Amino acid sequence: MRERLFIVTMLLPAMVLLVLFYGYPIFDNLRISFTDLSLLGMKKGGNWVGLANYRELFHRGDFGHILFNTFVWLTATSVLLRLLMGLGIAVLLNTRAMKKLRLASVARFALLIPWATPPIVAVVIWRFLLERNGVVNETLMRLNIISQPIAFLADMRAVWPSIVAIMLWNTVPLIALSLLSSLQTVPEEYYEAAELDGATNWQVFRFVTLPFLMPAILVLGLMSVFWSFNNFVYVWLATGAGPGTFTNVLATEVYLKGFVDFRLGYSSAIGMMMAIIMGAFGILYLRLVARQQLEETL
Amino acid sequence: MPASSRHWREPGAWQLVVVLVLAIVTLFVLVYPAIYVFFGSFRPAGGLLSAAETFTIRNYVRIFQAGFGRFIINSVVICVAATVVSTVLSIMAAYVFSRFTFRFKRALFMGILFGQVFPWIVLINPLFVAFATMHLINSYFGMILTYTAFTIPFSVYMLVGYLVTVPKSLDEAAIIDGASRWQVIWLIICPVMLPGFVATATYAFLLCWTEYLFALAFLTQTDLKTLPLGLYQFFGDDYVDWGAVMAASVVTTLPVFLLFLPIQGWISPGRIAGAVK
Amino acid sequence: MLKLLAAALITSAAMIGTIRFADADPVTITFRFNDTEQEVRGAIDAFEKQNPNIKVDLQRIGWKDARNQFLREAAVGQGPDVAHVAQVWVTEMGDAGATLALDDLIRKDPPPNGFADFAAQDLAKGKDGHIYGLPWTTDTWAMVYRTDLLKEAGIESLPTTWEDIRKDSEAVYKKTGKTGFGFPAGSSASGAMWFLANFYWWSHGKELIVQKPDGSYAIGLTLEDVTESMNYYKKFMDEGDNPRPNLAASDAHDPAIMQALITGNQAMGAMPPNTFKEALKAYEDANPGKPAPFASGPFPHQNNTKSSMIGGRMLVINANSKHPDAAWKFVKFMASQSVFADYYRTQFPAQTSLLKQIDFGAPLKGFADQFPYARTWGAYASGPVPIGTLWNVTQRAFGKALSGQQSTENAAKELLAEIGKQMP
Repeated sequence: MRERLFIVTMLLPAMVLLVLFYGYPIFDNLRISFTDLSLLGMKKGGNWVGLANYRELFHRGDFGHILFNTFVWLTATSVLLRLLMGLGIAVLLNTRAMKKLRLASVARFALLIPWATPPIVAVVIWRFLLERNGVVNETLMRLNIISQPIAFLADMRAVWPSIVAIMLWNTVPLIALSLLSSLQTVPEEYYEAAELDGATNWQVFRFVTLPFLMPAILVLGLMSVFWSFNNFVYVWLATGAGPGTFTNVLATEVYLKGFVDFRLGYSSAIGMMMAIIMGAFGILYLRLVARQQLEETL
Repeated sequence: MPASSRHWREPGAWQLVVVLVLAIVTLFVLVYPAIYVFFGSFRPAGGLLSAAETFTIRNYVRIFQAGFGRFIINSVVICVAATVVSTVLSIMAAYVFSRFTFRFKRALFMGILFGQVFPWIVLINPLFVAFATMHLINSYFGMILTYTAFTIPFSVYMLVGYLVTVPKSLDEAAIIDGASRWQVIWLIICPVMLPGFVATATYAFLLCWTEYLFALAFLTQTDLKTLPLGLYQFFGDDYVDWGAVMAASVVTTLPVFLLFLPIQGWISPGRIAGAVK
Repeated sequence: MLKLLAAALITSAAMIGTIRFADADPVTITFRFNDTEQEVRGAIDAFEKQNPNIKVDLQRIGWKDARNQFLREAAVGQGPDVAHVAQVWVTEMGDAGATLALDDLIRKDPPPNGFADFAAQDLAKGKDGHIYGLPWTTDTWAMVYRTDLLKEAGIESLPTTWEDIRKDSEAVYKKTGKTGFGFPAGSSASGAMWFLANFYWWSHGKELIVQKPDGSYAIGLTLEDVTESMNYYKKFMDEGDNPRPNLAASDAHDPAIMQALITGNQAMGAMPPNTFKEALKAYEDANPGKPAPFASGPFPHQNNTKSSMIGGRMLVINANSKHPDAAWKFVKFMASQSVFADYYRTQFPAQTSLLKQIDFGAPLKGFADQFPYARTWGAYASGPVPIGTLWNVTQRAFGKALSGQQSTENAAKELLAEIGKQMP
């Protein structure tokens, strides 16, 4: 009984806040998605249109293209690279050599810079670095890697990698710092035992460090997927979903339909679709991938 | 020798070189854009429009005239308060999730997840209407609640990820010795998990610090605005005040360092050594 | 840690205490202005001096978010008393019940020279015929030139036809290796191609949305018209005189374009007067004391067609305002001659009588020459498709065509189909 009271006390404050801030707006959003509510008609309210918004969504010619961009580029590529680079930086900062060179704490601070930069500034800076006469082009040309400047944000071959690069700069520090702090809670005994067994550095990483980091990596991975999938800022500010509609993703479509065309109903329907896709993904992920590592919890 | 430095064997010279090169490249990529902005903030138009090397502090004068002193205070108050509340609530919830089995546990855990699957833009309009009826628009309190609520899910997940790596035997031993659950959290879990807690709080803080959409909708009064709102003001319709944007970016980044300088030491390794027996 | 927490709580409690509430007496009205504070600070101070019983609280918000935020607020009984809005937003805001009908106020207390003196009156009216906004400022777009680069390419006079622009741009690129007509060819929803496309159509006597004599609306362009305009602009990209990276620039004030103009790497551009003034200022900062080698000129308007838009801003009063009379007094004051003469000098007034008295100065002469050949959005604004949508669809279609994502013909087809779907 005392234990139950303890559990309730500990969970209640967080739960109440979440219900207030997610529960209500989500249900309201669901309701709106069945109407033709317009931003201009918020005073009057919209008319009930049933599933019309959803039907329209599925019958669009470019729906496949938008889905591809969202899944492959915005989400899969950026999340995988983010985790790999974050892990790499965390391990690098935790090496004995880094400490010996007295670079570890400098680097930890350096990680805060991109992280504390608001996305709009991040995009603006990188747009400039990626300019025709920008640093990136200049460096690549001086190193004889390219002979002509690349139009990074306008060339269809380069635009997605460029957007992903900007996202990575801004978001890898979160992963790196989280994993670094996780690394630093690995009990010493584990390493000592491994050393006694004569394990190589790689084996220590593979069989001691990595399993220990796994829960954190899985959580970060899942959150990164949600966060990237729903993010519109980078694409919106870097290319405005262009050239043409080449980099359009679901989240920019939500913005365009809701705030440019004022069709809140339709925009809510896209939002609902995104939530359903991510919800299904989240459940599968926790069941199939994270089950073992988070066994206690699930 | 501190326990932590035994993670790897004594590095050889070539290892040092490889690490050094990697570290320099990483540091360069992380920091170069910031240096670019820093120097730009002392030049007319941020140095973007012409190549002339003129030094000026006019950009800084201009942004402080536009209220940046006030925006810094607003941001610090809102973000620190939201971070503290959110981290404490998240630690409480994450502890329970990682230590107990109870009814509806999985449903609740999934429920927290579900809030994250929505693109925030579609939540703005419904939330705005609700806020207006509750008189939470243009108030610190409303903003702190908002940011607390929007950082809790990630914090809870992250903390659960950390806490499952701390063996339950640790708690149980303490409880047998007569400690209460609160004591266990405060005296045993907190010290061991401090790096994780700090990393989580850092996340929550920086999420609030750079947040724009909610702040835009819920804070319209000039003297309540946060830094990102102040910064966006320099993006005009006919032209952008690049000098001010760069100065504002520098001013936005600096407080983060001042706040985290004292805390950084807490992400120090090796505290768990010897605890698990 | 605890100390930190305590400190934070104390500071936040102290802050919450300082939130200001509007006093009952004197009256406080809120004015939301979307450009920089220093442009209007002097005018507001002067107003408060003249009207000691009215205090004006200035709020600022960026243009890109201003419309959404105001509509949201107005719908739930919130928002500023007076708001700064684009001309083309007024009709829809009036229809949405967000703004107050000004007819009675104008009748009781008319502005000097009467309401008829204001430009863009058609856009100030709602579909119900009431007046929902007071036109405040006016501007237009024109072509701007680096005269030194033109001379270097052997061009003696500013181009007056679309063919001239094409030829001169090509000549600059061929002879100097520098950018000719560098326009922002990107596809953002609020980008500049929308303007350039319309200027091209208008100056050829066509328009995207037309109102027929019976009052109904229709698309005024054929597939050939759209394809032709796309082909015209695409040539600049294909021949290299507008570099491909400009496909990632959507604004006239994109730093890449501004920099190229200021450093002498680009000969021609198109922009509103404020952007041009910024460029002149930046040139002066970089080259103190040197005369700026810039000129401006109107877009081609053969056969006396219109070739640019009279854009501008209006002031509206929130339908929820508790002090409409004080708000109107303020609005009227802000549109008066003394404000434009003494304080608000970055913009041109929307009253024809005041506009005539302005000396634009040599570099901006092209803008003055453009005004007689400029038009308002007219049928676009009163028609069935929101301007934001027309704008976005046009930007996308041009982006697809100019980048080569689609052929010009297919992009043009899509543009007409997309808009056609939304016409009744």
